[in-house]
Amino acid sequence: MADLEVPNELRREAKEHDMYLHPIDRDTYELFFGPQHMATENFSIILKMDGNRIEKAIVNPGFLHRGFEKLAEGRPYFTNIALLLRICVPESDVPENIYSMAVDEIVGWEVPERAIWIRTTVLEMARVSAWMFWIMGFGNEIGLYTPGQWAAAYRERFMRLYEELTGGRVYHIYTVPGGVRRDIPGDRWLRQLRDTVEYVKGKMKDFDEILFDNYITFERTEGVGVMDKRFALKHAVTGPNLRATGVPYDVRKDDPYYLYDQLDFEVPVLKEGDSLARVLIRRYELEQDLYILEQLLDMGPPSGPYMVQDARLKALPRFKPPKGDAYAHVESTKGDFGAYVVSDGSHKPYRVHVRGPSQSHGVTVLEELLKGARLADVPVILKTLDNCPPDIDR
Amino acid sequence: MKMESVEKPRVRVVGEEKVRIKKSFIKPWMGVKYLFRKPVTIKIPFEKIEPAPKYRGFHTLNWKTCVGCNFCGQICPARAIEMTWMEGEKRPHPKIDYGRCTFCQFCVDVCPTGALGFSENFYLTTGGLEEDLELYDWVPIHPDKVRELNEKFGDYRFPVERIEKKGDGVYVYHLRDGSRIEFKILGYGLRPPAAAKPKPAAKSSGGAPKE
Ligand code: SF4
Ligand code: SF4
Repeated sequence: MADLEVPNELRREAKEHDMYLHPIDRDTYELFFGPQHMATENFSIILKMDGNRIEKAIVNPGFLHRGFEKLAEGRPYFTNIALLLRICVPESDVPENIYSMAVDEIVGWEVPERAIWIRTTVLEMARVSAWMFWIMGFGNEIGLYTPGQWAAAYRERFMRLYEELTGGRVYHIYTVPGGVRRDIPGDRWLRQLRDTVEYVKGKMKDFDEILFDNYITFERTEGVGVMDKRFALKHAVTGPNLRATGVPYDVRKDDPYYLYDQLDFEVPVLKEGDSLARVLIRRYELEQDLYILEQLLDMGPPSGPYMVQDARLKALPRFKPPKGDAYAHVESTKGDFGAYVVSDGSHKPYRVHVRGPSQSHGVTVLEELLKGARLADVPVILKTLDNCPPDIDR
Repeated sequence: MKMESVEKPRVRVVGEEKVRIKKSFIKPWMGVKYLFRKPVTIKIPFEKIEPAPKYRGFHTLNWKTCVGCNFCGQICPARAIEMTWMEGEKRPHPKIDYGRCTFCQFCVDVCPTGALGFSENFYLTTGGLEEDLELYDWVPIHPDKVRELNEKFGDYRFPVERIEKKGDGVYVYHLRDGSRIEFKILGYGLRPPAAAKPKPAAKSSGGAPKE
């Protein structure tokens, strides 16, 4: 081997372009984490390691590269539903709902009560199935595969309910501006939903035993990836991650939409801000969501139409809302999801902007939290922050 | 604005002692009891999943009632629909590219005459033979035929077994029950040659669904 010394000019040039040079003089190395890793889902992190410690983490998204917001400008209003829901795969109903709410507000539609009930139920079902998906991912990250298998099986029950209600399993394409696309398939479906909620509620004890009470979970998460209140507020952290730092902010309570001001539920808050707090908050919220679903079922769907009656809907491809703009947001399992839609009076939106939680959770916060963490903690921090990579790439 | 509500929460916060759980060595072993339960997995291909009624699968088209208005082509988010002229038909009919289709069924919703429908068939895959993998020029089949095939075979597969391509744009669909549908594609989104003589007011001329 010849001289490994890097010429100074090259070093300077590399520094100017923020490039990375091999070999580096100190005992550090570069590690590409993802995008195939189960924890990162569809994005990757470039880790600059010093032994087992991370010196610097650079998030490297862009593997999905879909440009949703730009694409949405080129499609008619209703059609965009089939596109925007791909922003968050585990709970595809959230982007559907925020976009529909914003368009409803622009047009000035009073969404029928039955549609509101269905939308609330669908959102809560989406939350529960997203928690199931999260349990699956998180369990796999810390090496507890069994609860993950169970969660996948229970999620399947919700997928079956979705299949009967909406006709799709993962991408439901169900909530549209003005209401929903199909009516509830009958009382049998409501009974099935109640059975499923009861069933999953009965399984909470098992989840506690095997995952949330587990010694391994505590060991792996306690004191890992700590963020404090000020840091969280500064970086626009929302959702369970914010509540784990001691800020009781929940869109469902602070800016109620749909039926949430009539529902009775609690918002869990912990002060520690570490991964364990984030895990426990999620566990409690799952319980609350099951409780909300029960309340909704007790309430029962109001009778009436499930879609607004409007002559303009006859010619759907050329449907033109009036000029205007609107912002709507909901609380998803990832955080505060919002959509801003601007209409210029034509049949395509002028601008659709989606405010997703993953931009802050998955990029800025993640990079900060990973500094100084151990390599084995990367999946734990990633999964407890719980981001949606397509949301970063939107 | 939002920060105020952070200061003075209307939220009912649950006590920490409720969320907090005790860690335990022994409890995780309780999961062992699941070893003796019935598995929830399905043994494909010995068992099969029935899709839900009204599952959004492949399309069906009633050629008699389709008026060729191209509403379906305009609403399609994936731009999968191309209007196709066929021999013996006065109007163009939609041709769906299943390489692009997202199965959103918006086209079915907007169809003003109810000509376009959907079936529960959802198997996009084939046995894996080379010739199966080529992309077909696929025109939806009559709903009654699809329903009949579903009842006969009951495994929700692609209703067309083989597509024979004769010269001059003539295609023959060999359906799974042995029957054949033969048609000739005259062109996509364009007015057909003079022999077919459509009304000059036909809407979709000029390749509207493309872009
Ligand atoms: S919308 Fe219906 S009637 Fe119009 S072209 Fe499509 S299938 Fe035919
Ligand atoms: S189902 Fe959706 S994507 Fe497929 S052809 Fe119809 S409108 Fe286009």
